[in-house]
Amino acid sequence: MAELKKTSEAARKACFRNWIYGNLTCFSQEHMQTFGYLWAMLPIVDDLYDTDEQKVEALRTYTTFFNTEPQIGTMVVGLTVGLEEAKANGEPMDAETINGIRAGLMGPLAGLGDSIIVGTFIPILLGIALGLSTGGNPMGPIFYIVAWNVLMYFGMKFAFDQGYTLGGSAVEALVGPQSAALRGSIVMVGTMVIGAVAATWMSITTSFELVFGPDSSFVLQNTLDAIMPKCLNFFFVWLCWWLMTKKKISPTLVMLILVVVAFVGVLLGVFDPKLTY
Amino acid sequence: MTINVLQAVLLGLLACLASLPGMGGTTIGNYTLGRPLVGGLLVGLILGNMQMGIIVGAAIQVVYIALVTPGGTVSADVRAVTYIGIPLAMLSISAQGIDPNSTEASGLAAALGAAVGTLGTVLFYGTATLNLVWQGIGWKAMESGKWDTIKRTIPMVDAVFPWVSHILFSFIPTVIICLAGPTMVDLMKQYLPMDGIAMKTLFTVGSLLPAVGIGILCKQVITKPLDWITFAVGFLLAAVMGCNLIASAIIAVFFALINFEIQTLKTARPAVAAASAGADDEEEEDI
Repeated sequence: MAELKKTSEAARKACFRNWIYGNLTCFSQEHMQTFGYLWAMLPIVDDLYDTDEQKVEALRTYTTFFNTEPQIGTMVVGLTVGLEEAKANGEPMDAETINGIRAGLMGPLAGLGDSIIVGTFIPILLGIALGLSTGGNPMGPIFYIVAWNVLMYFGMKFAFDQGYTLGGSAVEALVGPQSAALRGSIVMVGTMVIGAVAATWMSITTSFELVFGPDSSFVLQNTLDAIMPKCLNFFFVWLCWWLMTKKKISPTLVMLILVVVAFVGVLLGVFDPKLTY
Repeated sequence: MTINVLQAVLLGLLACLASLPGMGGTTIGNYTLGRPLVGGLLVGLILGNMQMGIIVGAAIQVVYIALVTPGGTVSADVRAVTYIGIPLAMLSISAQGIDPNSTEASGLAAALGAAVGTLGTVLFYGTATLNLVWQGIGWKAMESGKWDTIKRTIPMVDAVFPWVSHILFSFIPTVIICLAGPTMVDLMKQYLPMDGIAMKTLFTVGSLLPAVGIGILCKQVITKPLDWITFAVGFLLAAVMGCNLIASAIIAVFFALINFEIQTLKTARPAVAAASAGADDEEEEDI
């Protein structure tokens, strides 16, 4: 039996580097991350196969459309390196199987990555960084730059290695039932921090008041504060959420609705920033 | 405050790196350089007022705290928000002599950032469309079937050719708008008095806009009505109890730990019940 083919450490490093840098550099609406994937698999294919014909044939597998959340998607790249290695050793692994696995993973992982990394992890880091940057303190942005890049580099390295060594089971670890409790708890931290952000970094006040006499007037803001401090912040966040989830209105349109609300509010005297140059 | 050619060029280069899809890559480009808070630090350093840069960046960051771009649909362009919006906001805040720390300044920054960001989606579609040309070169190489050609072309397609897209759709727009900035701001000041309806609306919009960003986040994390209670607890920690964000985050982690323990027990229990049920069955069979 012929000696087992194995990708070299250098090829895997080049693959990882090409992916984490190039996953979106040549993005188009038609083939989103396809070229990033091709670039990542190039050193692997070059390393595993001997003849040019085999290399071209093997790389053709990765010309199919690919798009996911690119950072968590590093796991898929690692996984296909493992699969390609099996294929080069004559295992019953063909291009269709590899593409089936790729297509099956990119959707769920995109959802997972968008909600956990982009929707929860980044806002938590940014929330802490915003807290640190009060008054223009550079500690805030510096904290974000260091924490995000260090955690992401090791996270992606881990995802790549996990994908490579464990194959399909690595992905099950993140989407399986055991992880549900963990994911639920991460989302819970996110929800509470977002609530705190809504109270800290927004300031919506109303200038509406009715004057009955020299000593008698109704100031709406005072009444609202008595109900719950900053309750207008809460109301507008809920309103935007309701418009986007229940009414399926796009964020851009919601922004336009707020412009209309602001304009009408200013005309009616509900909103007045009371500014001068 | 004014922007000279060198400063505008630096902002233009950062815009090329920070875009989505950008030449800095996803992690370092879009998710680091493209975040308005980080951009605020860099723009502040370039324009010589780091403190104001960070304050303005933070105000705009709140609007885009959860800018998720599922499947490449883009509602706001980060390069425009960060490297056109922040410089313009800094110029107008200093031109109007508002205290950068004030609510008015953050309102103005948020409104300007959002306006520029929405217009900037044109830049996103421009970049992505021109990239089709470079991908076309890549497909031609793949079809040639020559390994040497493929090996030479793919890295060019991914790391070199897209720079052309970015010079056209990131660098040039950023440089031109930033250089025109001061005159634009002067004109604005002249034609739009602060007590006029236009400026009042602009500032009010600025105070309302963060609700959209936080609303998008809620869309991600709130799946059932009771999740609003979790949100409310976080909100009240800050609004009523005066906790800052770090304190709120630590309290949130504490609650999440309790939740994790409960959920783990919940998933473990049916397994235990099933196992004991199985044991009972065996006993019955024995009888």
